Formats: sequence, structure tokens, C-alpha cells
Amino acid sequence: MLWYKSWRDTRWRFLVGLGVLSLSGATVVLVYPRVLALVPLVPSSDGGGELGRRIREIAQLSREFRGYIWAQWFHQNVRQEWTVVSALLGTGGLVAQGSTGALFTLSLPVSRNRLVAVRAAAGLIELLIVALTVALLLPIMAPAVGERYAIADAVAHAICMFAAGAVFFSLACLLSTSFDDPWRPLLIVVFAAAVAGACETVFRGLQPYSVFAVMSGDVYFRTGHLPWIGIAASAGVSAALLFVATVNLARRDF
Amino acid sequence: MADAHVVQTVDLHKNYQGTEALRGLTLHVPAGSIFGFLGRNGAGKTTTIKILLGMVRPSAGRATVFGLAADDPIASVEIRRRTAFVSDEKDLYDGMTVAEMIRFTAGFFPRWRTDLEQRYLRKFELPPDRKVKALSRGMRTKLALLLSLSRGAELLVLDEPTAGLDPAMTEEVLQALVGHAAGEGMTIFFSSHQIAEVEQIADAVAIIDRGRTVVSGALDDLRESFQRVQLVFDGEPPAAAFEAPGITRVRRSGRVLTVLSTAGAEPILDRARALHAVSMDVVPVTLKEIFLESVTTEE
Repeated sequence: MLWYKSWRDTRWRFLVGLGVLSLSGATVVLVYPRVLALVPLVPSSDGGGELGRRIREIAQLSREFRGYIWAQWFHQNVRQEWTVVSALLGTGGLVAQGSTGALFTLSLPVSRNRLVAVRAAAGLIELLIVALTVALLLPIMAPAVGERYAIADAVAHAICMFAAGAVFFSLACLLSTSFDDPWRPLLIVVFAAAVAGACETVFRGLQPYSVFAVMSGDVYFRTGHLPWIGIAASAGVSAALLFVATVNLARRDF
Repeated sequence: MADAHVVQTVDLHKNYQGTEALRGLTLHVPAGSIFGFLGRNGAGKTTTIKILLGMVRPSAGRATVFGLAADDPIASVEIRRRTAFVSDEKDLYDGMTVAEMIRFTAGFFPRWRTDLEQRYLRKFELPPDRKVKALSRGMRTKLALLLSLSRGAELLVLDEPTAGLDPAMTEEVLQALVGHAAGEGMTIFFSSHQIAEVEQIADAVAIIDRGRTVVSGALDDLRESFQRVQLVFDGEPPAAAFEAPGITRVRRSGRVLTVLSTAGAEPILDRARALHAVSMDVVPVTLKEIFLESVTTEE
């Protein structure tokens, strides 16, 4: 029954996240012909500094549908949207004091560890479903613009998205055991992600170790191999955050 | 002793960031009793209840329910399996309907009583398809009671069960509780600052003040031990002659002296005869008087 409660608590956030990401992904696919038409207009000569270099790189990648999807979708849009959706799914909680029925839930014959475990498991399942759905939308939608996208690529990117998203989800879960409202955890996670993104830009040497590198499937796109170390590190961080969330909830007075 | 007392606390303390909510609370709730837990707002009633249900950890002291330690996370699950709780806010899931709330709760209790669920659904006239957030305060209380009474629990803990209800609804809720306790033989432990309702249904009480138990025992015993004696003298009443252990208050009004005692009336009457009182009356003491006396004289 806790699963049912957890689903009820998060279903709207799940559906909104699924809807927004699906719409965003579908739009990226559908505008590909127009982007392809613009690619020859991008000057090939050097100039424009770092921004010019990046525009030329994107233009180069966009000559192929797979490259375009990675550059526009996984490397760009997903970073922002997936981070927010992951954090959104992690906020709240079965006994968040701001939610209704917190004392009722605590009066049930269920341990607090189980409350966190069910909440986390339900949220992670939702996260995986969104990642897979959004990624698999690409091979489904690609024929609409006369292109093909491999299902294996979609699944591989979904795994990367899920692993990195789980970190932000777990951080939101942890913060939700300390804050009574869902907004502060969400804002803190988004702020933390923005700081991580800024560090990645400023210290370019950190880029390969960034959670965003795992999220965008950078290694997979360039080598065809899943970034197992990054995935394992993300899973480890996520598990550690959820463990701290469990400890935090266990010692809390309501 | 574990069987004789369903709930026991010994020297229970709770500090909230420098504020002492409980300061050595000792409590014994007899099995099968309807136990009224009285105290002013902020006396520590809700904190005590939350400690018993594992929602708050005590700072010091011991609290047991069914002989199980309330601060042990594993034992606490077992306590909650055998206990039903209604919070003062009647905290339920606003997004669920009455029927969903019942189905959800029943899933946690193997001894769920469908017969009682149906009986109270009819008795309380609860609309199964209505969302909890659309229920009135009274209906919400009734749903919370239904969910508690149908669990097959051995102990029912209620925190201000009639708070915010009109007199008719209060009466209905109290009657339901008394009827259920009589029929099912469960222990009811309820907090309140409504003295009249405690007096109406409780057979034992504890009065707490500033986190400490100041009076505790069977209601009849308390009424017997607390006595008010009115004495009339010919001249100035000798108030000082009645200051003694067990005398909680001596009040003089003209030639009349009113003495409130926790040690029976006989010693006062003996003393009054010796001082040639012209009239002596022993007047019954209400729970309200006991309460007011207990919470205002304690420092």
C-alpha cells in the first residue's frame, strides 16, 4: 500500500516530467530538416572564439541525425530539463511535514527505513520509465523526418540519463528529509546543478568526471561504450545520499 | 506488571532545543481502562503521545507500551501494529476518497475488522466516494475514528478527539468511543483539555502540568481523596490552624472557611470540632476543581 501512496504523491510530477521531456524531445526531432537546411550557412572558417568553435562543432555534428540528436538533445536540452525533472521527482516524501497525512503515515506499523526505501524505489522506477520513454521516442519519431535512430543508442542514453538523474533525485530525497516543503529541496538541487555546470565550464579538465558527462552519454556517443565508471560512481553517490536520507529520517522528531 | 499497565512511562524527559516539553513524566495506564490525559495547552500531552508512538525520541527516561520500549525502532513498529491513533489535526490523506482511505489503511492491519468498518460506515453516514479534503471537520473526525476502531487494535490513542466539534458531534463521538470500549474491551488513552468530556467517559485520569504528572489515579479514588470542607465559625476563622500536609488550599470569606484536602475530610473535621466550628459540610469536588487546583498550585 505504501507503493500506492508513493505513486499517488508523485504521479502528477511524473506525468508532467514525462510530458515536458517528451514534447521537448519530439520538437528536437521534428525541427531537424530545418536545422539541416541551415547547416551550410554556418561559416567553416575559424573565428568567433570558443562560441564560434562550438557552433561549428554542432553544425558539423548535425550533418548526421545521430550527431544532431546528441548535440541538441542529450548534450544540451537534457542537461537542464532532466536535472529539474529528477529533482522534482525526489522532492516531497511520504512523511514530509508539509504534505497531508504525515502523522497518519507515521502511525502505521511501518519502519522509517521502509518509508524511505519505498519512496526512493518508487521514484527511481518513475525516473527510469521517463528516461526510457523519452529516449525511445527518438527511434519512434525519427521516421517522421525521414531518419533512423537505433534503439540500442536510445537505451544506452537512457541508462546514462537514469544514472546521472538518480544523483539529483537522491539529493532531493535527502533534502526532503530535512525540509518541510518541496520547494527548498528543488531550489537547492537546481542551484547545486548550476554550480556543477559552471565549474565544468570554468575548469574544463573536470568535464570528463562531471555528472553531466554521464548524463549526456558523451563517452557512449564518441566511443560506443557505456561509461561504466561514471555510471558506477553515480550509483554510488546516489546510494550514499539515500543512506544519509534514511539515517536523517530515523533520527528526526515529528 | 506488563499486563496490568498497557502504557508506562518513568521519569520521561523531552527537550526541544532548550525547551523542556517533558520534565520527568511518570504515567501508568491500566489495561482495559478509558484513561483521560488532562493538561493545559502546551503541558506535554501531544509530546507524550508522540513518544509512545515512536514519532518523537525521548531525551531521557523510559516509555513502554505493551511492555515494549517505545524508542526502539523495531519494537515501535509492533506497538503501532497493536495501537490505533487519531491525531488532534485528524491528519489524513486529503487526495484520497473515504473508500480509498479505508482500503489503504486496512492493508496494514491483518486483523482489520470489516464488520466494524461497515458498521461505522453506516453509523457515521460517511460518503465512500467523497474526497477527504471535502469532508467537514466532524466527518473527518468520524473517518479517523472509523479507521482506528476497525484496526482490531488493543490500544486506542486519541489526541484531543473532539477538538473543533460542536456539542452534538462531540456527544456522538464520545458515545461511539464508550460503546466501542465496552464491546471490544480495548484500552482507550485520550488527551484533552475538555474536563467535562473526560469526566463523562474516563474511569482513570492523569493531570499533567509543565511536563510532569501532578495527579493520577482512578477517577472515583480522586474524588474520594479530594474533599472540600466548608466550616463556619462564630468569630474570625482560624485559617492558619488548617495549614498542614495534604491541605491544598484554605480560603477565608467572612466567618466561612473553605478547606480543600487531598487526604480526606476526617482530619479537617476533627480539627474543626476542636476549634468549635458551628457548622461543618463536606462538599463533593468536581474534576474541574481538582484540575484547576493541580495546575495552578504546582510550581
